[in-house]
Amino acid sequence: MTTASEVLSSIQSAFPGAVSDARVESDRRLWATIDSNKILDVCKHLTGKLNFDHYSGSAGVDWIARNEMEVVQIMASHGAHQVVAMLKVKTPRTNPSVKSLTGLYWNASWYEREIWEMLGINFEGHPELYPLLLSDPLVGVWPWRKDFKGYPDYTTGERAVAIPTPDGYTEYSFPPTPAEIEAGTVPTERPKYPSFLERETREIKSDSEMIMHLGPQHAMVPGPFLLDVLVEGERVKKAFLDIGYIHKGIEKIMENRTWLQDIVYTDRMCYVASLSNNECYCGAVEKILGLEVPLRAQYIRVILEELSRIQSHLIGTGEFLTLIAGVGFAPWQYMIMDRERIISLIESVTGARLTHTFVRFGGVRNDLPEGFAEQCKKDLPFMRSRIEEFIELFAQDPIYHARMENVGSISPETGKRMGCSGPVLRATGVAYDMRKEDPILVYPELDFKVITGTRGDSADRIDVRMREILESIHIIEQCLDKIPSGPIKTEAKIPKKVPAGEAYYRVEDPRGEMGMYVISDGGDKPYRVKVRGPFYATFQTLTPLLEGTYIADAVAIAGSMDGCPSESDR
Amino acid sequence: MDGLIEIITAFAAQEPGIFALIIGIIGALVLSAVVNVGAMAVIWADRKVMSDFCNRFGPNRVGGRWGILQLGADAIKLFTKEDVIPAGVDKGVYVWAPIVASAGTMLVAAAIPFGALHIGGKDYPLVVANMDISAFYVEAALSIMSIAVFMAGYSSNNKYSILGAFRGMARMIAYEVPMGVCVISVAVMAHSLNLVEIVQSQTVWYAFAQPLGFIIFLIALVTDLGRIPFDQSEAEEEIICGYNTEYSGIRWGLLYFQEYNNFLLGSILISLLFLGGWHGPIIPIPILDIISPMIWLIMKVVIVIWFIILIRAALFRLRIDQVTDLGWKWMLPLSLVNLGWAVIIGSYFA
Repeated sequence: MTTASEVLSSIQSAFPGAVSDARVESDRRLWATIDSNKILDVCKHLTGKLNFDHYSGSAGVDWIARNEMEVVQIMASHGAHQVVAMLKVKTPRTNPSVKSLTGLYWNASWYEREIWEMLGINFEGHPELYPLLLSDPLVGVWPWRKDFKGYPDYTTGERAVAIPTPDGYTEYSFPPTPAEIEAGTVPTERPKYPSFLERETREIKSDSEMIMHLGPQHAMVPGPFLLDVLVEGERVKKAFLDIGYIHKGIEKIMENRTWLQDIVYTDRMCYVASLSNNECYCGAVEKILGLEVPLRAQYIRVILEELSRIQSHLIGTGEFLTLIAGVGFAPWQYMIMDRERIISLIESVTGARLTHTFVRFGGVRNDLPEGFAEQCKKDLPFMRSRIEEFIELFAQDPIYHARMENVGSISPETGKRMGCSGPVLRATGVAYDMRKEDPILVYPELDFKVITGTRGDSADRIDVRMREILESIHIIEQCLDKIPSGPIKTEAKIPKKVPAGEAYYRVEDPRGEMGMYVISDGGDKPYRVKVRGPFYATFQTLTPLLEGTYIADAVAIAGSMDGCPSESDR
Repeated sequence: MDGLIEIITAFAAQEPGIFALIIGIIGALVLSAVVNVGAMAVIWADRKVMSDFCNRFGPNRVGGRWGILQLGADAIKLFTKEDVIPAGVDKGVYVWAPIVASAGTMLVAAAIPFGALHIGGKDYPLVVANMDISAFYVEAALSIMSIAVFMAGYSSNNKYSILGAFRGMARMIAYEVPMGVCVISVAVMAHSLNLVEIVQSQTVWYAFAQPLGFIIFLIALVTDLGRIPFDQSEAEEEIICGYNTEYSGIRWGLLYFQEYNNFLLGSILISLLFLGGWHGPIIPIPILDIISPMIWLIMKVVIVIWFIILIRAALFRLRIDQVTDLGWKWMLPLSLVNLGWAVIIGSYFA
């Protein structure tokens, strides 16, 4: 098995002088600062020679005190080894520019667009660098830079220019200052996201084609995102995707709240999977603090995260089924009723139904209530029988097979290349699960299988989710047998100011690989929190998958991803 | 009383044309009242039975815990809503589509026997227009709804509507043919195209005499009604509301209502053609023995309606290409096989 130090020595021997500052945190984490001219070659080397076939995302950091910016490329592997390489590339704060990785990795596009619009770091060689999350007028404001003044300055301050619209409203525009234009931090010609009319005139070639909305206002979407499809009759010829309709700027908000307050914000990223978001953030902070979590607390966390996975899979599958069967579909209602039992179990521990804010640094908020194990032993066998019933029900339904099989198929190679994770990737047959790849808490001591499919189509995705619920039930039952008594919080005092440091922590969210990159500068607030959301990564794969399908299949494919636009927009 | 009948008879002898007109108008009023009230019951059943399958309550506020007056409340709401005709629609076609739909349904209703009265050992069928080719006529009139659907979708100037209209048309063409062949098979066995005679000739229910034809007709009927798994023309999750996306208020209400009118009439039709119509043992109780054929027919119709509602709760929606594939590649050949079967069996027993 490759370790982080071996990876580092391999890079150093292949590219002498390219690595300027490196730190091997553990066998599984490598931090290295790479010469900005060599980053493409290093990435090529990692992917080609060292099996780093998973481009997991990138984060931008504004180091205003050092007058430089950093782009951190997160590289990992699909099961060949467990090393996560965090490759930093530095660039000066004036005219920041780094090389784009879009030529190497298909899924780098969105990450780089986001960093560009938020921090103003230009990516040389990016083919379509226009805003992803922000609206067009906000380009050039660079809201995630540390010297961004924020709301009042930009709407009521001197800089904002009020433009009355013909409808009687007022819009604000932010013209760049001459100094900024000179410094080059603001593009004088702002690239604009193409409007609907522009797109129509550009894309429609014949009278038989039209562009149809499947979002943001549509019965299909689980949350607002723009999905336009160019159709000829019933065939989708091309799809256009745009997100950012519920961008909340959570990463920026988290920089302005204390460490403890931020736990609340992680809930709001995806309320269906808030426990794993909690875990991800707290785990990263614990790593910086070097805290040991007591064994009982670890078990409680595992139990709750698996419960949370069960309820998330149930609602995800149920909602998807309504997309191809109509809202009157009875199994959907039964899934929601069964989910209610799980929610009640979680509620009995955390006191909340959806947004729990339950995990704490070095422990959990409160202990399991009395009778929890008994209630679980009552509910979990019921849930198991129900899930087996659902699996059987779908297996014997010919229309289900006609609608699901070979719809939105992804091959294992494509799935890896596109950077998707979770049930979508596992359905293709790649056994990639953070609980095995990057084990946390007591997962290594528990016995469970990584569920995989064979074809990677919509039917497999549902099948993987359903059988994962069975595995989760198995995990919880083991935990309830093994859980020791003891403290639920660490004895150590948790300081208000977290010592300077950085950590990247990954958990298996119900939707896939969720990672958080947390940086502390020694203050009482995080310096930077980068969330690598699973659905954000999976979402990109939607556009190529839709091409050439029927409209009905387009809906099925979009639904089978178990989308959560709230988490992808953050 | 006798005097009144005498006056009426005298008037009928004197002015036969006007008398026929008056009787026709009365018949039409009774008919539309019966059909529409029946359709309201079907809508109520659809909501209530559906919610039962899904373990929900369904409407349970207006009109007691059974929500009986919910539909009335909905109708009042729809009638009092603003009548919106969107800019850009083909106004004439847009306005006429719901009316064509209603007219089509009433044309179907005119030729359908709604049961029979058992008086003095004889069945007197209750049918407004007892014509010789009523089975054929009903089949033809049922497809007028598809024309109305196309009118509504095509005139709406909306992308979702036009897709819904095309889907509805493709589906109609694929399924009217096997449906018609099934009706012919029944007519071959009954040696008549008259629905009343078809019912009277069913000593053995045609569902048992030609099971294949029954299954094909049932599937084609569900398709014609546009219910899941064949509701592609208004698939909510794909094309919002399909052909009636741009409709609102009472125009939408009319279109929506005609679907349920058709649902009721189609269920009656399948009971008449395949389930023995009003055949059943006569209940040996005074008064009840007179209406016992009606009771049997209503029971059969309720079972058919219940079954079609159950299908909606249990099945997925097919894709439009799968629907037309099924229609042309399976339904049509199988219905022709059934026709051959009907000819052989029918001539053997004739």
